[in-house]
Amino acid sequence: MDVVVCLRRVPFTQEVDLEIDKGQRQILAENLAFVLNDWDNYALEEAISLKERTKGTVTAITVGTEEDEEVLRRALAMGADTAIRIDSEGLTLDPRNIARLLARVIRGLRFHLILTGAQSDDLNEGCVGAMLAEELGLPHASVVNKIELGEDVLEIKVELEGGIEEISTIKLPCLLTIQTGINEPRYVSVMGIRKAAKKELKVVTIEELSLDKEALVPDVYVERLFYPPETGGAEILEGDPHIVAEKILRILRERGVIS
Amino acid sequence: MLELWTPKYLFWPILLIALFAFLRSILSRIQVLRMAQKDPRLDHLKERFRSLLLDGIMQWRQPRYPFSGILHLVIFWGFVVLSLRSLQLLSYGLGISILSPFETGAFWDLYGLLKDVFEILVLFTCLLSMARRLLFNPPRYKGSHEAEAYLVLGLISFLMITDILFEASYCLLAEKNELSISQAMAIPFLKFSRTSLEVIYNLSFVLHILAFLFFLNLLPLSKHFHIITALPNVFFRKLKTGSIKPVRYNVQDIEDLEYSGTKYIYDLTWKHILDIYTCTECGRCSDNCPANLVGRELSPKMLTLKLRESIYKTYPVTVQKKERPNPIIPGEVIGEGEIWSCTTCGACERECPVFIEYIDKIVDMRRYLIEQGQGPSSFNQVFINVEKTGNPFGKPPAKRADWAKEAGEIPVRILKKGDQVETLLFVDSYPSFDPKANEVTLSVVRGLHKMGEDFGILGPLERDSGHQVRRMGEEGLFELLREKNRNLLSEIRFKRIVTIDPHSFNTLKNDYGLQIPIYHYSQYLYLALENGRLKPKRVIREGTYTYHDPCYLGRHNGIYGEPRELLKGILDAPLREMSKSRDRSLCCGGADVGLWYEVREEERMASKRVKMALEIGADHIVTACPFCMIHLEDAVKTMGLEERLMVVDLMGLIDSCL
Repeated sequence: MDVVVCLRRVPFTQEVDLEIDKGQRQILAENLAFVLNDWDNYALEEAISLKERTKGTVTAITVGTEEDEEVLRRALAMGADTAIRIDSEGLTLDPRNIARLLARVIRGLRFHLILTGAQSDDLNEGCVGAMLAEELGLPHASVVNKIELGEDVLEIKVELEGGIEEISTIKLPCLLTIQTGINEPRYVSVMGIRKAAKKELKVVTIEELSLDKEALVPDVYVERLFYPPETGGAEILEGDPHIVAEKILRILRERGVIS
Repeated sequence: MLELWTPKYLFWPILLIALFAFLRSILSRIQVLRMAQKDPRLDHLKERFRSLLLDGIMQWRQPRYPFSGILHLVIFWGFVVLSLRSLQLLSYGLGISILSPFETGAFWDLYGLLKDVFEILVLFTCLLSMARRLLFNPPRYKGSHEAEAYLVLGLISFLMITDILFEASYCLLAEKNELSISQAMAIPFLKFSRTSLEVIYNLSFVLHILAFLFFLNLLPLSKHFHIITALPNVFFRKLKTGSIKPVRYNVQDIEDLEYSGTKYIYDLTWKHILDIYTCTECGRCSDNCPANLVGRELSPKMLTLKLRESIYKTYPVTVQKKERPNPIIPGEVIGEGEIWSCTTCGACERECPVFIEYIDKIVDMRRYLIEQGQGPSSFNQVFINVEKTGNPFGKPPAKRADWAKEAGEIPVRILKKGDQVETLLFVDSYPSFDPKANEVTLSVVRGLHKMGEDFGILGPLERDSGHQVRRMGEEGLFELLREKNRNLLSEIRFKRIVTIDPHSFNTLKNDYGLQIPIYHYSQYLYLALENGRLKPKRVIREGTYTYHDPCYLGRHNGIYGEPRELLKGILDAPLREMSKSRDRSLCCGGADVGLWYEVREEERMASKRVKMALEIGADHIVTACPFCMIHLEDAVKTMGLEERLMVVDLMGLIDSCL
C-alpha cells in the first residue's frame, strides 16, 4: 500500500510563557523550539507500519520553509521513501490554501491512502485533512484511532462522545485524519536523522504547481492576539503542604463537596 | 635422570599431535578476534606494564575475596614456578636437553626445593578448593561450568601427584641424597621393590605428560582459557574508567555505518571478545552487581557466558564457518531485560580480577536498540525533550536558571558569551529543575559565595551534559549536546568548572575532552577547607552518620577521601562505614535508564542501601549526588522510616554549618 502522509512542524510550547509580538497578530517564535506535530507523528508511524506490513511506500509532504524540512528528515529516518517540501515562500497560509497546495502535489503521486494528523498542536483547527479530501474528491474519516486492512477497503475505528466507539468501512483510496494513541510512534535517533540528511528531499515551488501566489490570500486571518483579561474568583493557597491540604479540606467542607 | 622405558619416538608424535590440535584451537579463537572491531589499546604503556605487574602477576584484586583469592594466588604462583618443571619433563621425554645448562648449581637446588614446596602447596590448595566447592558452594558460582571446575582442579591435582610420585621414585632409584622434601615424599615408598619403583617412575611420567598435553588442549575450549588470556587482558585493560567508548574506533564518518552499536558478535571490539574468552566464571561481578542483587534480569557473568557460548557455537574450533551469524540482540542471545537493567555503576568492572569490561558492551547494545527505534517507548519523550529544550523535562530553556531566584541576596551571575569568570558552575538539568536537587544547587551556591568565589552559571544557554542520554544509548544526541556545550564553553573565559552532580562531573571530565580542571563540589570545597577559605562556624554533635559513595564520584573517578574529610571537618558525631562502602558502594538505582523505565525487580536498590545504613545504626545517610539523594529519600519514605533515618546531601550539611 502506498501511503502519503502530511506533516507539520509546530512550536514546542510546554510550560513556555508565550509572548505576543508587537503587531499583536503572532506569537513570538524566536526562542521557541520546534517539533513535529504530535498528531502527525502518530500518522507518520501509522504510515510506516502500513508500509512495513504491506510492502508499500511512504511519501511525506510538508508545506513550509527550509527549516520545516526537519520534520521530513525525521520521516525519512523513520522509513519514508520520498519527502517533498512545498515551499511556502513566506506566505501566511490558511488551512484551505495549505489543502490546495497539498492537493496539487498529491494528484501527481501514486497512492492508496492519505494520512494527516487530526489537528495541529499550534492552531488546533483540524481543517486541512477534510479540506484536502474535498479537493481530491476522496472519501474521508476524521480522528481515526484504529486501522485494519481489508480488500480495497479499510476498517476504521473512531471514538465518539460518551465513550461510544464506531467502526466503519471506507473505500480506498481515501483520506484519514489520525488521532493520537493509535500506535506507539518509534523513536528516531539523532544519528538516524543525520543519516537521513543524505537522502533526497524534493522541493516544489508554488510556481511549479501552476498556482498564482496572489490567489493564495487567506480567507481567514488573525485580527488580534491578546491575553484574556484577568478575572477574579481564584484563590491561591499558600504555605507548606500540610496547611494547604487543611485549607483545601476546609473549603471542600464549606461548599458541601464532602461532609 | 634415569633412562625411561618408553622410547623417545613415541613422545614426538604425541607431542606434535597435541601441539597441532592446540594451535588449531588457538588460531580459530584468534580468527574471531581479527574479525572483530578495532580498539586501540597501546597507549600509556608505562601504566599498562605497571598494571600487568600489580594486577596481572601480583593479582592485587584476588584477595578482595580473601579465602578464594589466596587459594587462587597459590595455584597461580604454582603455575609460574612449575612451568619450568613442565618444560624440563617435556624435554626429558623428547630426549632433548634444552634446559641442561641450567640444571646444575645452587639455582637448580633452590628451584628443586621451590618446586617440591609448590607441588605440595598446589595439591593441597586444589583439594581444599574442591572441598570448598562441595561444602560451601558460594551462590556466585550459579550458572558457571562447575563440572569443568572439578575436572580442572582434579587435573591439576593429578599433575602434582604424578610428578611427586615421579620425583619420589627417582630419589629412591637413583639413591641420591636429594633435598629433604623430595626425600620426605619418598618415605612411603621406602619398602617398595626396585621393579615396583621403576613401574611407578615410568607410569607417573607418561601419565603426567599425557595429562599435561590434555590440559593444554582443554584450555582454549574451557573457562581455563584465562590461563593464557588473563595477562594480555589485564595489559590491554580499559584505563580510563567513567568514559564510554566511541561508536566505532577508526571510523571517520559514523553516519556511513549501516547501524551503530552491537548487533552481531563481530560488532564487538577485539578486546571485548578477549574479555569473553578470559572470563573465569568466578562470579564476583554478579556478586557485586546491584541489578543482580535486587533480582533484575541482569547477571554480568551470565552476559559474558552467553556471549561466549554464542561465539563458540558460531565459530567452533573444528569448523571454519564464514557465513553471517545470527544477531546477538535483541533477544537472540542477550535479552532486553538484561540490556536495560544495568545502572552503569561499574561495580562489576571494579571487582573483576581480570578486568573484563561490561558498561561499554551494554551501551553498545543500547546504541543499536535506540537507533533501530527499539528502545523503551518511555524514553522517546525524554530524548525529544533533551534535544529540543536541553533538559529531560521539556522545560523551557528560559527557565533554566529560575532556581537562582531562591538564592536570596546572593548574586548568581548568568554568564553570556564573551564573559570572564574564575569558576564556572556547571549546574546541569536535574540540579536546575528538580525541586529536590535545587536545594543542593542552592547550598553549593551559598558555599561558593561564603568562600568569596567569583563564579557564574550558563543559565538558559547551558544544555544537559548528556551523561544520561549517552549511557542510555542515544549517542547522536550526546554528540549534539557535547558540541553545543563545548562551543559555548569556548566562548567564555574561566579557570575551572565546578559541578553539582557527579554525573555531570564525570561526563565533562571523561567524555568531553576539555583542557581545563573540572571539580566536583566536594573536591573543590575540600581544597577550600584545607587552605582555610571555607570556615565552618559550628560542628554537628548529634546523630550517627554514614557516607554513601555515589558511583560516579567513587568507583568511576576515585573520589573517596574528600567527601569524608569534609564530613570530619563538620562532624563531632560518629561517622560509620556501611558494609559496602568506597569502591564496593551499592548503587542507589542510578541516574539514567531507571529514571524513565521501570525494570522488573524484587526490591529497590535504594531500599537495600537504606537497610545497610540501619544495620550500622546510622540515622543520617550523607551523599554527594542529587540522584542518590532522590532515590534514597524515596526509599526511606516508602519504607516508613522518616522518623529513624534522614538522607542529607553533603553540601546541605556543610551549608548548615557555615
